[in-house]
Amino acid sequence: MPEWELEIRKHLAGLNLRPEREAEIIEELSDHLQQRYEELGAEGAGQVLAEIDWRNLVPELQASARTPERGSVAEGATPSGHLFSDFAKDLQFALRMLRKSPGFTAVALLTLALGIGANTAVFTVVDSLILNPLPVEKISGLAAVNTTQLKKTSQSGDLQAISYLNLKDIREQTRAFRTLAGHSYPMAVTMTDKNEPHRIFAEIVTANYFDTLGIHPFLGRFFLPGEDRTPGAAPVAVLGYTAWQSRFGGVSDILGKTIKLNETPFTIIGVGPKGFKGVYAVFGPDLWIPSMMAAQALPAEQRNALTDRGMPLFTGIGRLQPGITLAQAQAEMKISGAALEKEYPGANEGKSLTVTPLLEAAYGPERQPVVLGGILLMAIVSFVLLIACSNVANLLLARSSVRRQEIAVRISLGAGRMRLIRQLLTESVLLGLFSGILGFLFGHGGCRILESLRPAEYAENLADLRLNASVFVFAFAVAILTGLIFGIVPALRTSRVSVSEVLKEETRSRGRSRGRVALANMLLAGQVAVSLVLLVVAGLFLRSIEREYAIDPGFQTEHLALFMLYPGQAGYDRVRTEQFYKLVLDRAARIPGISSVSWASNLPLWGRQETGIAIEGQEARKRSEAISAVIDTVDLNYFSTMGIPFLEGRDFTQNDRDVSTPVAIINETMAAQYWPNQDALGKRFQLPQDREFLEIVGVVKTTNYQTLGEPPQACAYIPLRQHYTDSMILYARSERDPSTVLAAVPTEIHSLDPGLAVEDIRTGSKVIDQALWWSKMGVGLLGAFGLLALGLASVGLYGIMAYSVSQRRREIGVRMALGAGPGSVSFLVLRQGMAVVASGVGVGMALSLLLGRVLARFLYGVSGSDPIGVGGASFALLAVAFVACYLPARSASRLDPLVALREA
Amino acid sequence: MGTKVEEAWKKGSAELLVLSLLEDQPRHGYEIGKLIEVRSGGTLHFHVASLYPLLYRLEKRGWIEGRWVEKANQRRRRYYRLTAEGQRVLELQRRKWQEFAGAVGRIAGVQHA
Repeated sequence: MPEWELEIRKHLAGLNLRPEREAEIIEELSDHLQQRYEELGAEGAGQVLAEIDWRNLVPELQASARTPERGSVAEGATPSGHLFSDFAKDLQFALRMLRKSPGFTAVALLTLALGIGANTAVFTVVDSLILNPLPVEKISGLAAVNTTQLKKTSQSGDLQAISYLNLKDIREQTRAFRTLAGHSYPMAVTMTDKNEPHRIFAEIVTANYFDTLGIHPFLGRFFLPGEDRTPGAAPVAVLGYTAWQSRFGGVSDILGKTIKLNETPFTIIGVGPKGFKGVYAVFGPDLWIPSMMAAQALPAEQRNALTDRGMPLFTGIGRLQPGITLAQAQAEMKISGAALEKEYPGANEGKSLTVTPLLEAAYGPERQPVVLGGILLMAIVSFVLLIACSNVANLLLARSSVRRQEIAVRISLGAGRMRLIRQLLTESVLLGLFSGILGFLFGHGGCRILESLRPAEYAENLADLRLNASVFVFAFAVAILTGLIFGIVPALRTSRVSVSEVLKEETRSRGRSRGRVALANMLLAGQVAVSLVLLVVAGLFLRSIEREYAIDPGFQTEHLALFMLYPGQAGYDRVRTEQFYKLVLDRAARIPGISSVSWASNLPLWGRQETGIAIEGQEARKRSEAISAVIDTVDLNYFSTMGIPFLEGRDFTQNDRDVSTPVAIINETMAAQYWPNQDALGKRFQLPQDREFLEIVGVVKTTNYQTLGEPPQACAYIPLRQHYTDSMILYARSERDPSTVLAAVPTEIHSLDPGLAVEDIRTGSKVIDQALWWSKMGVGLLGAFGLLALGLASVGLYGIMAYSVSQRRREIGVRMALGAGPGSVSFLVLRQGMAVVASGVGVGMALSLLLGRVLARFLYGVSGSDPIGVGGASFALLAVAFVACYLPARSASRLDPLVALREA
Repeated sequence: MGTKVEEAWKKGSAELLVLSLLEDQPRHGYEIGKLIEVRSGGTLHFHVASLYPLLYRLEKRGWIEGRWVEKANQRRRRYYRLTAEGQRVLELQRRKWQEFAGAVGRIAGVQHA
């Protein structure tokens, strides 16, 4: 018997079949040949082989293997070798197609890259600020411990710090936390390096702080337990990575170097890890010092923080024991809080302890707006990307008419529909990936721009935007997804070409291209609607911030210059500090252009509230119902410098001194709240932790103390000459633009003492700017994305209108030949385009009104359906859309009917 | 040119032929080829190179189903039978073919038997 099997196997070798499948085919075919051989008789062996058209067998088998499976029989799955070689072919072909039409490729690439770039940038922000704000070990196991008031009294967030002694007790007793550390807020301290004073931020931390977070030093080491046992004994500091780079040039011999903090020499023992700026996600310190050095860093009135149980300083950071839940830790802290209240009622009455996941505590009260803002921005940029996708989908649809011939030829050559779709999708995914690379670069650029917009004086302390692996994965995934989204509809459409129809048709098939235009119109109307929504949102926030700028804070900001000074940190004692305050006032008042000067302890809009004020003649309140007010220590002429009018009584005078009656000035809100329907002048009250009663000598108008446009708050002003403070802010009222005096004042101060840091300088309008910084950033981003969306949508509109005019050349030619004027032809085209725009605007308006309701709570003084915001945005969009439609309409009206008809 | 036309016609009708032959009973490849040749009086002839790929294609589409069958004193052979979907397709193709043949006949003046 001839060796059929060998012969067949030889021919099937190139097919790369699965071995089992190959064996089956060989068995079946050789059986066939054997039967034929038996039929022909012994001499037929040669004829049997000669009868087989071997050249045809292999391609036929290949073709049958590619047949799409329709039924349930899953016989002969495509061998993997094919899939791979097909993919390589698809890739080559796709590259060739993209190179072949550079115009289309460039427009699509740029459109998508802008969309992907916007997404990458916003995702980087969200990732750096919300998803992964802290580069610490296993953040889910970390929790913040804070003091809370059992009954909420203050309006500004209810998480408060814990005093050192309370923290120490909790730490010794806790079982829920494996380790419990404490850290203060970043404190402004004066660092003197080579006799040059600088204002930097230091955080006071317990020695186990870094261990609890599970981070490791970049250089050197962190604090040892022994360095945090005796007050003042171990002046050592750990430098932040950013501060090391920017203030010390990243020199490698930094360890062991001595710097002066508030005139105390500290030795640098380590540098923190890269990217770590403390556990507040937004604002971080330049360096850390052990808690036993607190007295050296804190202002005079907080120097006894380590011994006074009533003085809050630390936020606790605990690492949960394995297996302990947050709820269990919370239960334990509640018990600890109750025990502390019972044992030390003087300091702890009405207070409890609360546990928050560190990720939440990282923002404090600002978390909610930050998260909502992040979600809103993510939603907006995904809409921008959707617009970009639908634009490119439209381009592909328009192009598919050009490629019909090519596709028809390939179908007639035996290409299956799935195979075609795969090829088309390979092209669009490839386009998506190229756009992803470009978009990643755009996103990177966008992040650098955003970082450069941070207020310069704090830029080093603010969170960095980190482009890390997760951002890269995100951009990659978005790029692929984008390719699939914009590619799938055109691919399905294009592959549905009927061979006979294309080969038959001499002119373009009307019905089909009209169907394509209908789909394109729908995409366009969607784009218009989404762009409108984005523009309306941007418009509403723009209106809102405009209103915010118009808010009268109750004090003048136009002619105000502010200088923060920390004489206490330069080693001044009380006598010298008081002398210094007087000297500075004298010198500054003599500077030309300055009309009045004064001192105050609070920065505008950074008022500190104190709780526990007692009012004479009124029954003593429980601590849980304590009166709170903003307390501001001010010097003479403060009110005239700030432009705050008196309603009653007098200003502080030279005679209000240490030895005279303690006095205070209150605002009208406090007067109305605690002395309703009576004259507050002459009444007396007591500050928390103060034994003396203060007599009210004046009532002034209420201003904004913490935020712009806040509800009226009680405020009490006390005279500097009766209340010593070792750091103050110099307020200078200028006659003209305050920037003229910004240089002159520090020069005067340096002539008094070159060792004083005068770095915190700002004008009144800058204070307002900073207060509105977040809103401004938000409006800027919204506006930028809104304009990007509008730009993309109008390019898309223009493209599709131009395409539809080119499709209708014949019809337009006929119309013009029959006497239609250029005007009526333009009108025809314009009407078609603007109908699409109008339907988009209609849908967009409805969506905006819905969204406006949701956004209303973020808007100030503007309703979600603000007619100027909504109307203005619609008008802007209609105007741009009109131009995008008008250009093709004009070119249609200039069509030469003869040429158009001849072409057709 | 003539042979090319023939090829195309043969290709167009091959599916119909195979499906029809499997309508009554399962058959193996050689039998199908032989039957086509015999019943067409030698006009139609399917070679290995086109017959088996066609069978595999029909099988993959789920119109026919192949199964190895072992009988006494014989090598095992792959028998194909018509599936329910194949039955539907066969009826459809039969109707189409009749329409087509009828139309061609009316135009070309070919008389029906």
